[in-house]
Amino acid sequence: MEKFLTVKEIRDAVRDGKMTATEIVEATLADIKARDGEIGAFLEVFSEDALAQAAKIDEMKKKGDALPPLAGVPVAIKDNMLYKGHIASSGSKMLAEYTSVYTATVVERLIAAGAIIIGRTNMDEFAMGSSTETSAFQKTKNPWDKKKVPGGSSGGSAAAVAAGFVPASLGSDTGGSIRQPAALCGIVGMKPTYGRVSRYGLTALSSSLDQIGPFTHTVEDTAIILEVIEGKDIHDATSVDLAETTVGELLTPSFEGLRVGVPSEYFIDGMDEDVRKLVLEAIDVFRKGGAEIIDIHLPLNPYALPTYYIIQPAEASSNLARFDGMRYGTRAPGELEASYVAARGAGFGPEVKRRIMLGSFILSAGYYDAFYKKGLAVRTAIRKELDDAFKKVDIIIGPTSPSVAWNFGERFDDPIAMYLADIFTTAGNIAGIPGISVPCGFAHDLPVGLQLQAKPFDEAIMFRAAAAYQNATTWQKYCPEIV
Amino acid sequence: MDIDLTHIAKLSKLKFSEEEKAKLAAELPGIIEYIAKLQEVDTNDIDARAYLTDAVNVFRPDEPVENEEIRKAIIEEFPKKTADALEVPGVFND
Repeated sequence: MEKFLTVKEIRDAVRDGKMTATEIVEATLADIKARDGEIGAFLEVFSEDALAQAAKIDEMKKKGDALPPLAGVPVAIKDNMLYKGHIASSGSKMLAEYTSVYTATVVERLIAAGAIIIGRTNMDEFAMGSSTETSAFQKTKNPWDKKKVPGGSSGGSAAAVAAGFVPASLGSDTGGSIRQPAALCGIVGMKPTYGRVSRYGLTALSSSLDQIGPFTHTVEDTAIILEVIEGKDIHDATSVDLAETTVGELLTPSFEGLRVGVPSEYFIDGMDEDVRKLVLEAIDVFRKGGAEIIDIHLPLNPYALPTYYIIQPAEASSNLARFDGMRYGTRAPGELEASYVAARGAGFGPEVKRRIMLGSFILSAGYYDAFYKKGLAVRTAIRKELDDAFKKVDIIIGPTSPSVAWNFGERFDDPIAMYLADIFTTAGNIAGIPGISVPCGFAHDLPVGLQLQAKPFDEAIMFRAAAAYQNATTWQKYCPEIV
Repeated sequence: MDIDLTHIAKLSKLKFSEEEKAKLAAELPGIIEYIAKLQEVDTNDIDARAYLTDAVNVFRPDEPVENEEIRKAIIEEFPKKTADALEVPGVFND
């Protein structure tokens, strides 16, 4: 099937007067209405505001004003990002009717850049999940095969781009929630360095791990979106000042002089053999393009996932303490304590309760040192191991996820099997380094993702390598056949 | 490992039916055994850090910002209110 339009193509078409923003938004809304019933990517479409935003862009164009960098480009946002006046429910009954009182910095920056916020997308409840099945509202289907999950937790944002509804969307990645669904849906998904993008207005899952990033079809589009949303924000103390980087600098596709580290630990027993084969073929593309392939070892990598399942539930149980039906949400009847317990019991789903329980246990007297403090120490050790590795290599490469998309329900009752889908991505969050997943072929007729990671704030070299790979291959041009 | 589910549920401000408790009692030990793998890693010489960024003491002026529109929107979200005040169950009884 013919590939979908990219961010750059739409932006240029609006700039050159070949299409108006209104035409684009009307076509997008009609397309979602016609086809999303089958996919379930969107929880809500913001038709009225989207058309109003488009009219503003068209007005600017008519007056001959210079257009901002994303003028007329439709973008979908994950349901955990605030957009004033619109519901942001984080996929939970707890916030089903919560209307945002302010706008997240990333959304504000998109709007200021002329992007059109099309709607909010389905997600695992409070971003806890790897298949988007824990959403309190609906299932999102993988556009490549509707019997399969799209991955998660940003499954709706991934499916919205993979199905061709929008050229770009935003997700949040706490342990792989952008990169893993991007891999399973055959698109590009990127988690920036921790601190590169403001988290203000993102409903927190795990504050030391969460990072917002884009889904697109091409690495170039990802760089374009990143450049709009990144940078210091007074409202997020962990956001950092960046040296001035330009899309041009981020996008000089080349394998030349590139040192590519291939960790043996990224090819585990039990991973899908066809996935392994495709990733090895992808590495060969780098080699043939002139990159130097270096075998490396990351002996602590097998501990990244268990470390993640200490830090993330511990932080989540604290972050989710605020949801008690007192200041927003649904107030449950009864005395204070009974009201808290009843509101939380009715509002949270089973996976959220499981992780709150796990987090409370990890932080409880008698277990805090053995689990939480130990987790933090291993976290620091994992970062040091990666820092050392990046003295020898520019990027680390491997599979994004050990398998392709699986059937609905297949892992739902086995938490650890579900958690294993993120085995190659959690280290990136634990160490705070950037990572990107790019499509690298098909196994069992489903997309496979190649993950590239770089040292903190070196997105430029990661993009350079990923864009060179996309130039040398054509996987991003495949689109699912969708009726 | 013995997990006192009633105690942990109390800390979590959650309540479970007997059926849910049985499910948790079956699932949690497996997950805890999995995360306990970290005991294999020698971390004697390592400082535990909650954040890995190099940022220290990120200050900004502590100035109140008036925003009537946001104030109204927040009040609008209150599940129970008396005039503009949030109404909550009594915190101190007797």
